[in-house]
Amino acid sequence: MKRRSVALTATAGAAAGLLGLTALTLPAGAAKPDLPAIEPEELVSSAMTARSPEMAGTIRVDNDLGLPALPGVPESSPLSGGSSTLRAWSDGQGRHRLTVPSEGGEKTVVDDGDTVWKWSSTERTVTKYRPDATREHRPATTPAETARHLIAKLRESSEVAVDGTASVAGRDAYELVLTPEPTERTVLREVRIAIGAEKRIPLRVVVETDGARQPALKAGFTKLSLEPQDSELFRFTPPAGAKVTTPEAPERTERARHRVVGAGWDSVLLTRLPQEPQSRQGTDDGPKDPRDLARRIGEPVSGDWGRGWIVTTRSGSALLTADGRLAVGAVPEQVLTGAMGAPR
Amino acid sequence: MTTTTPTATHRSSAPLGRVLLSELRWVLRRPRNLLALLGLAALPVLIGTVVALTGGPSPGDGPALLASVAGNGLVLPIVTLVMTQSLLLPLVTAMVAADALAGESAHGTLRGLLLAPVGRVRLVWVKATGVLVMTVLSVAVIAVVGVLTGLVIVGSDGLVTLSGTTLPLTGAIGRVALAAGWSMTQMAGIGAIALAVSALTEHPLVVLAVTVGGLIVFGVLGELPALEWLRPFLITTDLYAVADVLRDPIPTGDLITGLWRAGCYVLIGVSATVARMATRDV
Repeated sequence: MKRRSVALTATAGAAAGLLGLTALTLPAGAAKPDLPAIEPEELVSSAMTARSPEMAGTIRVDNDLGLPALPGVPESSPLSGGSSTLRAWSDGQGRHRLTVPSEGGEKTVVDDGDTVWKWSSTERTVTKYRPDATREHRPATTPAETARHLIAKLRESSEVAVDGTASVAGRDAYELVLTPEPTERTVLREVRIAIGAEKRIPLRVVVETDGARQPALKAGFTKLSLEPQDSELFRFTPPAGAKVTTPEAPERTERARHRVVGAGWDSVLLTRLPQEPQSRQGTDDGPKDPRDLARRIGEPVSGDWGRGWIVTTRSGSALLTADGRLAVGAVPEQVLTGAMGAPR
Repeated sequence: MTTTTPTATHRSSAPLGRVLLSELRWVLRRPRNLLALLGLAALPVLIGTVVALTGGPSPGDGPALLASVAGNGLVLPIVTLVMTQSLLLPLVTAMVAADALAGESAHGTLRGLLLAPVGRVRLVWVKATGVLVMTVLSVAVIAVVGVLTGLVIVGSDGLVTLSGTTLPLTGAIGRVALAAGWSMTQMAGIGAIALAVSALTEHPLVVLAVTVGGLIVFGVLGELPALEWLRPFLITTDLYAVADVLRDPIPTGDLITGLWRAGCYVLIGVSATVARMATRDV
């Protein structure tokens, strides 16, 4: 009967629709590619010297650092765990653009090769970093630069190996694995960096910690295009109605406040909180007085260096003293207290 | 696909154009539909006026998107779409879908339609078109009135995107059109499912309850971390992506996923409606 064939066709249509929805659940998984073997040293040196190409990409950051839920830190903040997405563009000549979308808002950093602009849509503010700020004080770096920096920091104190291949954002990559030397006192187990086989740019960074199956941090491209980019992307004009501030070039004193004790995996960053945290520039989402926060979420500790509060997570710890000194590192507690007591 | 020629073609069937026209006249003359359109039109005016009078919520207070309306009038239509998309627009869509089949059924007029010289597949297309037209109109009303309100109240000559770039007026209108078009597809997806429910029941209220209740349930399910695998199936998952047209350049990922999903919903909804109507006894 005609009517029945209509009903059958319609049922098939509904089934096709359901299949279409199911297609959305399929991961865009790809098999591990076959690539010619490569020596770790060769891979590292080619990655360190590779030119930053023109690119546009989407980066997904899965953060499971195990930080305690911080009061006052919005859930969308990359600090609070979970996933966030970044978008990055680079023109291969030192100009780049990075955006951090949030629900109903966006933060954008544009480095036009001369000036660095930071825009926050929720605050409607523009922060303009003057060109005379030295490179390392620029808030903008590309994700690839960050990964290279990581390799440079860790390679001296690591066993470096190439552990097979991976496919990241549809591109073939080598997996470079940095494992801390046994003498390193760190809570991290290894850092895996997927390096693109073709252009030798880092495509993904995975940080594994001791005794955990899930990586503490996983940041990698989900989409990457290496085509030439529109130069308009690397220009920024503050929109009408936005408040533009130009912070003073970072004072030398602030630089002197930072000190790194140790090297490699167990290095500890020692710093001092600004005297008036409220006056800090920028668009920190964080709570205003870190000491209040530390008191709430930290364990009180004391030693010959004074007393303070320590916060331990699976990926590291932080120690804040009552007089405002702060030590942070991917290390167990003893290393922090040791560094705090270390002579200048 | 459901391209099978209607069963009634061998009989002398009424011309499609005339049937369609009479259905549209029926939909657009219904006072509650006109009132719904009027109410939707009032919404951007209301939001725009409140924001203009109060200067909008201060940063970090209230929905972030709403704060960006202040001094940036062309965001208004998109913000209104975001706000209405989750419940109000689906409600209007479900209302029309409920009248389309369940309403006729309740009044006993569906029987006449089924006996009339109009093929049943054709009847479904006619009814679906009625729902679609009303859906398109509801979104368009918000977009047009939103743009006008934004221009009149703020008098802006461009759109400041969330990324901090400034679009000229034409570009801004293009973005609003894009948002409206995308929103229409989502509502069409919801409308198709509502139509299928409408074919199943004789009570218009059931259609409303299932559609709106379903959306609320979807919203809850989407929040549960344990049901993450379910999210790609839920139409509520990417509804918020319409705000992505306010970013520059537009991230297309979620928008395209949303389009695909809405398409699947339309296919499922219309197919289910046809299947039900074809096998239904008079």
